[in-house]
Amino acid sequence: MDPNRTALPFREFSHRISLVFMLTLAAALLLLGRAETYVFDRARQVVTDLAAPLLEVASRPVAAARRVIERTDEYAYVFDENERLRAENARLLAWKEMALNLEARVARYEALLNVQIDPSINYVTGRAVSDAGGPFVDTVLVNVGREQGAKSGQAVVDTDGLVGRIVSTGPKASRVLLLTDLNSRIPVVIEPAHYKAVLAGDNTEWPRLEYLTNISAISPGDRVVTSGDGGLIPQGLPVGLVIQTSDGNLRVQTFADRGRLNFVRVLQYEFPSQVERQDPPDVLKGPPISSSADSAASAAANSTGTE
Amino acid sequence: MVRLEPYSPTPAARAGRVFMVVAPFVMGLVCVLLSFVPLGRIFGSSLTPAFALMAIYYWAIVRPEMFPPLAVFTVGLVFDLLSGGIIGLWAFVYVLIYAVVISQRPLVVNAPFAVFWFGFLVVAVFTGAISWAVVSIYYGRPVPPSSLMQHMVLTVAIFPIFAMIFGRVQARVLPGS
Repeated sequence: MDPNRTALPFREFSHRISLVFMLTLAAALLLLGRAETYVFDRARQVVTDLAAPLLEVASRPVAAARRVIERTDEYAYVFDENERLRAENARLLAWKEMALNLEARVARYEALLNVQIDPSINYVTGRAVSDAGGPFVDTVLVNVGREQGAKSGQAVVDTDGLVGRIVSTGPKASRVLLLTDLNSRIPVVIEPAHYKAVLAGDNTEWPRLEYLTNISAISPGDRVVTSGDGGLIPQGLPVGLVIQTSDGNLRVQTFADRGRLNFVRVLQYEFPSQVERQDPPDVLKGPPISSSADSAASAAANSTGTE
Repeated sequence: MVRLEPYSPTPAARAGRVFMVVAPFVMGLVCVLLSFVPLGRIFGSSLTPAFALMAIYYWAIVRPEMFPPLAVFTVGLVFDLLSGGIIGLWAFVYVLIYAVVISQRPLVVNAPFAVFWFGFLVVAVFTGAISWAVVSIYYGRPVPPSSLMQHMVLTVAIFPIFAMIFGRVQARVLPGS
Protein backbone atom coordinates (compact mmCIF):
# COMPACT_ATOMS: atom_id res chain seq x y z
CA MET A 1 0.00 0.00 0.00
CA ASP A 2 1.24 3.47 -0.87
CA PRO A 3 2.04 5.29 2.40
CA ASN A 4 1.35 8.69 0.74
CA ARG A 5 -2.32 7.75 0.33
CA THR A 6 -2.75 7.57 4.12
CA ALA A 7 -0.36 10.44 4.87
CA LEU A 8 -2.30 13.01 2.86
CA PRO A 9 -5.66 12.75 4.66
CA PHE A 10 -3.80 12.63 8.00
CA ARG A 11 -1.91 15.83 7.13
CA GLU A 12 -5.14 17.54 6.12
CA PHE A 13 -6.83 16.34 9.29
CA SER A 14 -3.99 17.63 11.51
CA HIS A 15 -4.03 20.92 9.58
CA ARG A 16 -7.74 21.35 10.31
CA ILE A 17 -7.33 20.46 13.97
CA SER A 18 -4.49 22.95 14.25
CA LEU A 19 -6.64 25.62 12.57
CA VAL A 20 -9.53 25.10 14.98
CA PHE A 21 -7.15 25.07 17.95
CA MET A 22 -5.47 28.34 16.90
CA LEU A 23 -8.82 29.99 16.28
CA THR A 24 -10.04 28.97 19.74
CA LEU A 25 -6.78 30.14 21.31
CA ALA A 26 -7.03 33.53 19.58
CA ALA A 27 -10.66 33.94 20.70
CA ALA A 28 -9.64 33.04 24.25
CA LEU A 29 -6.86 35.64 24.09
CA LEU A 30 -9.40 38.27 23.04
CA LEU A 31 -11.47 37.54 26.14
CA LEU A 32 -8.51 37.07 28.49
CA GLY A 33 -6.83 40.25 27.26
CA ARG A 34 -9.50 42.32 28.99
CA ALA A 35 -9.19 40.54 32.32
CA GLU A 36 -5.53 39.59 32.68
CA THR A 37 -3.73 42.78 31.80
CA TYR A 38 -0.51 42.37 33.80
CA VAL A 39 0.78 39.35 31.86
CA PHE A 40 0.03 40.93 28.50
CA ASP A 41 1.46 44.31 29.53
CA ARG A 42 4.67 42.55 30.52
CA ALA A 43 4.75 40.63 27.22
CA ARG A 44 4.16 43.90 25.37
CA GLN A 45 7.05 45.58 27.12
CA VAL A 46 9.39 42.71 26.28
CA VAL A 47 8.38 42.66 22.59
CA THR A 48 8.51 46.45 22.40
CA ASP A 49 11.98 46.60 23.90
CA LEU A 50 13.19 43.92 21.49
CA ALA A 51 11.68 45.64 18.45
CA ALA A 52 12.56 49.24 19.37
CA PRO A 53 16.25 49.08 18.30
CA LEU A 54 15.30 47.43 14.98
CA LEU A 55 12.61 50.03 14.36
CA GLU A 56 15.01 52.82 15.25
CA VAL A 57 17.52 51.60 12.67
CA ALA A 58 14.75 51.15 10.09
CA SER A 59 13.29 54.61 10.75
CA ARG A 60 16.56 56.44 10.09
CA PRO A 61 16.48 56.08 6.28
CA VAL A 62 12.81 57.13 6.41
CA ALA A 63 13.75 60.30 8.31
CA ALA A 64 16.60 60.93 5.87
CA ALA A 65 14.28 60.51 2.86
CA ARG A 66 11.77 62.84 4.48
CA ARG A 67 14.51 65.45 4.99
CA VAL A 68 15.53 65.19 1.33
CA ILE A 69 11.93 65.76 0.19
CA GLU A 70 11.51 68.69 2.59
CA ARG A 71 14.77 70.24 1.45
CA THR A 72 13.74 69.90 -2.19
CA ASP A 73 10.44 71.63 -1.41
CA GLU A 74 12.28 74.35 0.50
CA TYR A 75 14.64 75.01 -2.41
CA ALA A 76 11.72 75.25 -4.81
CA TYR A 77 10.00 77.92 -2.74
CA VAL A 78 13.01 79.58 -1.11
CA PHE A 79 12.36 83.11 -2.46
CA ASP A 80 8.64 83.10 -1.65
CA GLU A 81 9.41 81.68 1.78
CA ASN A 82 12.00 84.39 2.40
CA GLU A 83 9.49 87.12 1.57
CA ARG A 84 6.87 85.53 3.81
CA LEU A 85 9.32 85.21 6.70
CA ARG A 86 10.39 88.87 6.41
CA ALA A 87 6.77 90.00 6.64
CA GLU A 88 6.11 87.63 9.53
CA ASN A 89 9.25 88.81 11.33
CA ALA A 90 8.09 92.44 11.13
CA ARG A 91 4.72 91.45 12.59
CA LEU A 92 6.30 89.35 15.33
CA LEU A 93 8.64 92.15 16.43
CA ALA A 94 5.59 94.23 17.32
CA TRP A 95 4.13 91.23 19.15
CA LYS A 96 7.43 90.72 20.99
CA GLU A 97 7.30 94.25 22.46
CA MET A 98 3.75 93.68 23.61
CA ALA A 99 4.62 90.25 25.04
CA LEU A 100 7.57 91.67 27.02
CA ASN A 101 5.36 94.39 28.51
CA LEU A 102 2.70 91.84 29.42
CA GLU A 103 5.29 89.48 30.88
CA ALA A 104 6.60 92.22 33.17
CA ARG A 105 3.09 93.17 34.21
CA VAL A 106 2.10 89.55 34.93
CA ALA A 107 5.28 89.03 36.98
CA ARG A 108 4.43 92.15 39.05
CA TYR A 109 0.85 90.93 39.65
CA GLU A 110 2.07 87.46 40.57
CA ALA A 111 4.45 88.95 43.15
CA LEU A 112 1.68 91.16 44.59
CA LEU A 113 -0.86 88.35 44.76
CA ASN A 114 1.64 85.80 46.04
CA VAL A 115 0.83 83.35 43.23
CA GLN A 116 2.25 79.86 43.69
CA ILE A 117 4.22 79.40 40.48
CA ASP A 118 4.72 75.92 39.02
CA PRO A 119 8.29 74.70 39.15
CA SER A 120 10.13 74.50 35.85
CA ILE A 121 9.62 71.28 33.88
CA ASN A 122 12.49 68.99 32.96
CA TYR A 123 12.33 67.09 29.71
CA VAL A 124 14.08 64.34 27.79
CA THR A 125 14.30 64.45 24.01
CA GLY A 126 13.84 61.33 21.91
CA ARG A 127 12.67 60.16 18.52
CA ALA A 128 9.40 58.59 17.47
CA VAL A 129 10.75 55.37 16.01
CA SER A 130 7.58 53.59 14.95
CA ASP A 131 4.23 54.16 13.35
CA ALA A 132 0.82 53.11 14.67
CA GLY A 133 0.82 50.00 12.47
CA GLY A 134 -2.90 49.31 12.54
CA PRO A 135 -6.09 51.20 11.77
CA PHE A 136 -7.58 50.95 15.28
CA VAL A 137 -4.64 52.17 17.34
CA ASP A 138 -2.89 55.52 17.35
CA THR A 139 0.25 54.91 19.35
CA VAL A 140 3.93 55.38 18.56
CA LEU A 141 7.09 54.14 20.21
CA VAL A 142 9.70 56.65 21.37
CA ASN A 143 13.27 55.72 22.23
CA VAL A 144 13.03 57.17 25.73
CA GLY A 145 12.48 54.59 28.44
CA ARG A 146 12.56 54.15 32.20
CA GLU A 147 16.36 54.47 32.15
CA GLN A 148 15.95 58.05 30.89
CA GLY A 149 13.27 58.84 33.49
CA ALA A 150 10.11 58.25 31.43
CA LYS A 151 7.00 57.31 33.39
CA SER A 152 3.42 56.45 32.49
CA GLY A 153 1.23 59.53 32.22
CA GLN A 154 3.96 61.98 31.22
CA ALA A 155 3.08 64.40 28.42
CA VAL A 156 4.90 64.22 25.08
CA VAL A 157 5.24 67.34 22.92
CA ASP A 158 6.95 68.25 19.68
CA THR A 159 7.77 71.65 18.23
CA ASP A 160 4.11 72.21 17.29
CA GLY A 161 2.34 71.20 20.48
CA LEU A 162 1.03 68.30 22.55
CA VAL A 163 1.44 64.92 20.84
CA GLY A 164 0.01 62.59 23.50
CA ARG A 165 0.97 60.92 26.75
CA ILE A 166 3.03 57.90 27.73
CA VAL A 167 0.97 54.82 28.52
CA SER A 168 3.66 52.21 29.10
CA THR A 169 7.39 52.23 29.56
CA GLY A 170 10.14 49.71 29.11
CA PRO A 171 13.80 50.16 30.05
CA LYS A 172 14.71 51.74 26.70
CA ALA A 173 11.45 52.62 24.93
CA SER A 174 8.00 53.93 25.76
CA ARG A 175 4.61 53.82 24.07
CA VAL A 176 2.88 57.14 23.45
CA LEU A 177 -0.90 57.28 23.14
CA LEU A 178 -1.64 59.96 20.52
CA LEU A 179 -4.45 62.50 20.93
CA THR A 180 -6.42 60.86 18.12
CA ASP A 181 -6.53 57.38 19.70
CA LEU A 182 -9.86 55.94 20.77
CA ASN A 183 -8.69 55.75 24.40
CA SER A 184 -7.16 59.23 24.64
CA ARG A 185 -8.80 61.72 27.04
CA ILE A 186 -7.05 65.04 27.78
CA PRO A 187 -8.49 67.86 29.94
CA VAL A 188 -8.32 71.09 27.94
CA VAL A 189 -9.36 74.74 28.05
CA ILE A 190 -10.72 76.63 25.05
CA GLU A 191 -9.43 80.17 24.80
CA PRO A 192 -10.35 83.01 24.91
CA ALA A 193 -13.75 82.03 26.44
CA HIS A 194 -11.87 79.81 28.94
CA TYR A 195 -14.38 76.96 28.87
CA LYS A 196 -13.15 73.60 30.06
CA ALA A 197 -13.70 70.38 28.12
CA VAL A 198 -12.21 66.95 27.58
CA LEU A 199 -10.45 66.26 24.29
CA ALA A 200 -11.52 62.74 23.29
CA GLY A 201 -9.90 60.81 20.44
CA ASP A 202 -12.24 58.66 18.37
CA ASN A 203 -9.93 57.12 15.78
CA THR A 204 -10.47 59.96 13.33
CA GLU A 205 -8.09 62.74 12.35
CA TRP A 206 -9.87 65.34 14.51
CA PRO A 207 -10.58 64.57 18.19
CA ARG A 208 -13.94 65.57 19.71
CA LEU A 209 -14.65 68.02 22.54
CA GLU A 210 -16.62 66.33 25.31
CA TYR A 211 -18.28 67.77 28.46
CA LEU A 212 -18.32 71.24 26.95
CA THR A 213 -20.80 73.27 29.00
CA ASN A 214 -21.41 76.17 26.64
CA ILE A 215 -21.04 75.30 22.97
CA SER A 216 -22.42 78.65 21.80
CA ALA A 217 -19.46 80.47 23.35
CA ILE A 218 -16.99 78.48 21.24
CA SER A 219 -16.33 79.25 17.61
CA PRO A 220 -14.05 77.75 14.95
CA GLY A 221 -10.52 79.11 15.21
CA ASP A 222 -10.47 79.24 19.02
CA ARG A 223 -7.27 77.98 20.58
CA VAL A 224 -7.23 74.79 22.67
CA VAL A 225 -4.61 74.33 25.41
CA THR A 226 -4.21 71.85 28.25
CA SER A 227 -6.04 72.77 31.45
CA GLY A 228 -3.72 70.92 33.82
CA ASP A 229 -6.73 69.39 35.61
CA GLY A 230 -5.87 66.10 37.25
CA GLY A 231 -2.26 67.14 37.75
CA LEU A 232 -0.89 64.76 35.12
CA ILE A 233 -0.19 67.14 32.23
CA PRO A 234 1.11 70.68 32.74
CA GLN A 235 -1.21 73.58 32.12
CA GLY A 236 -1.08 75.70 28.98
CA LEU A 237 0.48 73.30 26.46
CA PRO A 238 -0.81 74.16 22.96
CA VAL A 239 -3.08 71.42 21.61
CA GLY A 240 -4.83 72.75 18.51
CA LEU A 241 -7.57 74.89 16.98
CA VAL A 242 -11.33 74.39 17.10
CA ILE A 243 -12.81 73.49 13.71
CA GLN A 244 -16.35 72.83 12.58
CA THR A 245 -16.93 69.68 10.55
CA SER A 246 -19.43 69.42 7.70
CA ASP A 247 -22.01 67.85 10.04
CA GLY A 248 -21.83 70.92 12.32
CA ASN A 249 -19.87 69.32 15.18
CA LEU A 250 -16.97 71.09 16.86
CA ARG A 251 -13.73 69.17 16.73
CA VAL A 252 -10.05 70.01 17.17
CA GLN A 253 -7.37 70.18 14.50
CA THR A 254 -4.26 69.30 16.50
CA PHE A 255 -1.10 71.34 16.00
CA ALA A 256 1.02 68.17 16.13
CA ASP A 257 0.93 66.29 12.85
CA ARG A 258 1.31 62.53 13.36
CA GLY A 259 2.41 62.14 9.75
CA ARG A 260 5.48 64.29 10.46
CA LEU A 261 6.42 63.11 13.95
CA ASN A 262 10.15 62.91 14.48
CA PHE A 263 11.86 64.42 17.52
CA VAL A 264 9.69 64.69 20.62
CA ARG A 265 10.11 65.83 24.22
CA VAL A 266 8.92 63.81 27.18
CA LEU A 267 7.97 66.29 29.91
CA GLN A 268 8.92 65.11 33.39
CA TYR A 269 6.22 67.06 35.14
CA GLU A 270 5.46 66.55 38.83
CA PHE A 271 2.22 67.99 40.16
CA PRO A 272 3.36 70.73 42.57
CA SER A 273 1.62 69.33 45.66
CA GLN A 274 4.90 69.07 47.54
CA VAL A 275 6.10 72.60 46.76
CA GLU A 276 6.84 74.65 49.87
CA ARG A 277 4.67 77.66 50.51
CA GLN A 278 6.10 80.85 49.04
CA ASP A 279 5.60 83.74 51.47
CA PRO A 280 5.11 87.24 50.08
CA PRO A 281 7.97 89.72 50.34
CA ASP A 282 8.26 91.50 53.71
CA VAL A 283 7.38 94.90 52.23
CA LEU A 284 3.99 93.53 51.19
CA LYS A 285 3.16 92.08 54.62
CA GLY A 286 0.60 93.94 56.72
CA PRO A 287 0.75 94.53 60.50
CA PRO A 288 0.84 91.29 62.55
CA ILE A 289 -2.73 90.12 62.87
CA SER A 290 -2.30 87.93 65.92
CA SER A 291 -1.08 90.74 68.35
CA SER A 292 -3.93 93.13 67.47
CA ALA A 293 -6.45 90.31 67.80
CA ASP A 294 -5.01 89.43 71.25
CA SER A 295 -5.19 93.03 72.47
CA ALA A 296 -8.78 93.35 71.22
CA ALA A 297 -9.73 90.15 73.03
CA SER A 298 -8.09 91.26 76.32
CA ALA A 299 -9.79 94.66 76.07
CA ALA A 300 -13.13 92.94 75.64
CA ALA A 301 -12.41 90.71 78.64
CA ASN A 302 -11.46 93.71 80.84
CA SER A 303 -14.60 95.59 79.93
CA THR A 304 -16.71 92.51 80.79
CA GLY A 305 -14.96 92.19 84.18
CA THR A 306 -15.56 95.82 85.20
CA GLU A 307 -19.24 95.64 84.51
CA MET B 1 30.69 -3.79 -6.31
CA VAL B 2 30.67 -0.08 -5.50
CA ARG B 3 29.04 0.79 -2.16
CA LEU B 4 27.40 4.16 -1.86
CA GLU B 5 28.18 6.18 1.27
CA PRO B 6 25.05 7.26 3.19
CA TYR B 7 24.29 10.92 2.46
CA SER B 8 24.90 13.26 5.37
CA PRO B 9 24.28 16.97 4.68
CA THR B 10 26.81 19.55 5.78
CA PRO B 11 25.81 22.10 8.50
CA ALA B 12 25.50 24.78 5.81
CA ALA B 13 23.16 22.58 3.80
CA ARG B 14 21.12 21.88 6.93
CA ALA B 15 20.93 25.59 7.73
CA GLY B 16 19.84 26.30 4.17
CA ARG B 17 17.13 23.65 4.44
CA VAL B 18 15.88 25.11 7.72
CA PHE B 19 15.83 28.57 6.16
CA MET B 20 13.81 27.28 3.22
CA VAL B 21 11.24 25.81 5.59
CA VAL B 22 10.90 28.92 7.75
CA ALA B 23 11.33 31.54 4.99
CA PRO B 24 7.59 32.29 4.55
CA PHE B 25 7.13 32.63 8.33
CA VAL B 26 10.20 34.89 8.61
CA MET B 27 8.81 36.99 5.78
CA GLY B 28 5.53 37.24 7.70
CA LEU B 29 7.40 38.53 10.76
CA VAL B 30 9.39 40.98 8.63
CA CYS B 31 6.07 42.22 7.23
CA VAL B 32 4.82 42.79 10.80
CA LEU B 33 7.92 44.84 11.62
CA LEU B 34 7.57 46.73 8.35
CA SER B 35 4.05 47.75 9.38
CA PHE B 36 5.56 49.75 12.24
CA VAL B 37 8.32 51.43 10.23
CA PRO B 38 7.00 54.96 9.60
CA LEU B 39 7.23 54.69 5.80
CA GLY B 40 4.26 57.03 5.30
CA ARG B 41 6.19 59.89 6.90
CA ILE B 42 8.31 60.14 3.76
CA PHE B 43 5.21 61.60 2.11
CA GLY B 44 3.90 63.31 5.27
CA SER B 45 1.22 60.67 5.89
CA SER B 46 0.59 58.25 8.74
CA LEU B 47 -1.07 55.61 6.57
CA THR B 48 0.51 52.16 6.61
CA PRO B 49 -0.71 49.16 4.61
CA ALA B 50 -1.41 45.74 6.15
CA PHE B 51 1.82 44.05 5.05
CA ALA B 52 1.15 40.99 7.22
CA LEU B 53 -2.20 40.36 5.51
CA MET B 54 -0.42 40.32 2.13
CA ALA B 55 2.05 37.71 3.36
CA ILE B 56 -0.66 35.53 4.88
CA TYR B 57 -2.82 35.63 1.74
CA TYR B 58 0.08 34.98 -0.62
CA TRP B 59 1.52 32.01 1.25
CA ALA B 60 -1.90 30.54 2.11
CA ILE B 61 -2.65 30.38 -1.61
CA VAL B 62 0.77 29.49 -2.97
CA ARG B 63 2.41 27.27 -0.30
CA PRO B 64 -0.03 26.68 2.59
CA GLU B 65 2.08 23.79 3.95
CA MET B 66 4.92 26.28 4.58
CA PHE B 67 2.70 28.77 6.40
CA PRO B 68 0.72 26.68 8.91
CA PRO B 69 -1.97 28.05 11.29
CA LEU B 70 0.59 28.32 14.12
CA ALA B 71 2.68 30.70 11.97
CA VAL B 72 -0.41 32.79 11.17
CA PHE B 73 -1.35 32.94 14.84
CA THR B 74 2.20 33.95 15.85
CA VAL B 75 2.32 36.69 13.21
CA GLY B 76 -1.02 38.07 14.45
CA LEU B 77 0.00 37.89 18.10
CA VAL B 78 3.33 39.67 17.50
CA PHE B 79 1.38 42.35 15.64
CA ASP B 80 -1.01 42.69 18.61
CA LEU B 81 1.84 42.96 21.10
CA LEU B 82 3.69 45.56 19.02
CA SER B 83 0.65 47.67 18.17
CA GLY B 84 -0.46 48.23 21.76
CA GLY B 85 -4.06 47.54 20.74
CA ILE B 86 -6.50 44.79 21.69
CA ILE B 87 -4.64 41.58 22.52
CA GLY B 88 -5.71 38.72 20.26
CA LEU B 89 -7.51 40.93 17.71
CA TRP B 90 -5.21 40.35 14.74
CA ALA B 91 -4.32 36.83 15.85
CA PHE B 92 -8.03 35.98 15.70
CA VAL B 93 -8.78 37.90 12.49
CA TYR B 94 -5.75 36.53 10.63
CA VAL B 95 -6.41 32.89 11.60
CA LEU B 96 -10.06 33.28 10.60
CA ILE B 97 -9.10 34.85 7.27
CA TYR B 98 -6.51 32.11 6.74
CA ALA B 99 -9.22 29.47 7.22
CA VAL B 100 -11.46 31.21 4.66
CA VAL B 101 -8.60 31.58 2.16
CA ILE B 102 -7.61 27.91 2.52
CA SER B 103 -11.22 26.82 1.92
CA GLN B 104 -11.43 28.92 -1.28
CA ARG B 105 -7.89 28.17 -2.44
CA PRO B 106 -8.83 25.96 -5.46
CA LEU B 107 -10.59 28.96 -7.06
CA VAL B 108 -7.45 31.08 -7.09
CA VAL B 109 -4.45 28.77 -7.04
CA ASN B 110 -3.75 28.48 -10.78
CA ALA B 111 -5.77 31.48 -11.93
CA PRO B 112 -4.32 34.56 -13.70
CA PHE B 113 -2.87 37.34 -11.56
CA ALA B 114 -6.00 39.54 -11.98
CA VAL B 115 -8.09 36.84 -10.27
CA PHE B 116 -5.42 36.46 -7.58
CA TRP B 117 -5.56 40.23 -6.98
CA PHE B 118 -9.36 40.28 -7.00
CA GLY B 119 -9.29 37.47 -4.42
CA PHE B 120 -7.08 39.67 -2.26
CA LEU B 121 -9.55 42.55 -2.63
CA VAL B 122 -12.35 40.29 -1.32
CA VAL B 123 -10.10 39.11 1.52
CA ALA B 124 -9.21 42.72 2.45
CA VAL B 125 -12.90 43.69 2.56
CA PHE B 126 -13.67 40.63 4.68
CA THR B 127 -10.72 41.37 7.00
CA GLY B 128 -11.84 44.98 7.42
CA ALA B 129 -15.42 43.97 8.19
CA ILE B 130 -14.43 41.29 10.73
CA SER B 131 -11.87 43.47 12.51
CA TRP B 132 -14.28 46.44 12.60
CA ALA B 133 -17.02 44.23 14.09
CA VAL B 134 -14.69 42.77 16.76
CA VAL B 135 -13.33 46.20 17.76
CA SER B 136 -16.82 47.73 17.87
CA ILE B 137 -18.08 44.88 20.08
CA TYR B 138 -14.98 45.18 22.29
CA TYR B 139 -15.49 48.92 22.89
CA GLY B 140 -19.30 48.65 22.97
CA ARG B 141 -19.84 51.27 20.25
CA PRO B 142 -19.27 51.52 16.50
CA VAL B 143 -15.75 52.69 15.69
CA PRO B 144 -15.40 55.27 12.88
CA PRO B 145 -14.39 53.18 9.85
CA SER B 146 -12.67 55.93 7.79
CA SER B 147 -9.07 55.10 8.75
CA LEU B 148 -9.75 51.37 8.33
CA MET B 149 -11.05 51.94 4.79
CA GLN B 150 -8.02 54.05 3.83
CA HIS B 151 -5.76 51.35 5.32
CA MET B 152 -7.41 48.59 3.27
CA VAL B 153 -7.53 50.60 0.02
CA LEU B 154 -3.78 51.25 0.31
CA THR B 155 -3.17 47.58 1.11
CA VAL B 156 -5.03 46.35 -1.97
CA ALA B 157 -3.37 49.01 -4.16
CA ILE B 158 0.19 48.00 -3.35
CA PHE B 159 -0.42 44.24 -3.16
CA PRO B 160 0.98 43.54 -6.67
CA ILE B 161 4.41 44.92 -5.63
CA PHE B 162 4.59 42.61 -2.64
CA ALA B 163 3.18 39.66 -4.59
CA MET B 164 6.04 40.16 -7.04
CA ILE B 165 8.61 40.25 -4.20
CA PHE B 166 7.16 37.11 -2.60
CA GLY B 167 7.13 35.45 -6.03
CA ARG B 168 10.85 36.21 -6.52
CA VAL B 169 11.66 34.78 -3.09
CA GLN B 170 9.56 31.71 -3.82
CA ALA B 171 11.29 31.12 -7.16
CA ARG B 172 14.83 31.58 -5.80
CA VAL B 173 14.71 30.14 -2.32
CA LEU B 174 11.95 27.57 -2.05
CA PRO B 175 12.38 24.08 -3.51
CA GLY B 176 10.00 22.71 -6.10
CA SER B 177 8.72 26.15 -7.17
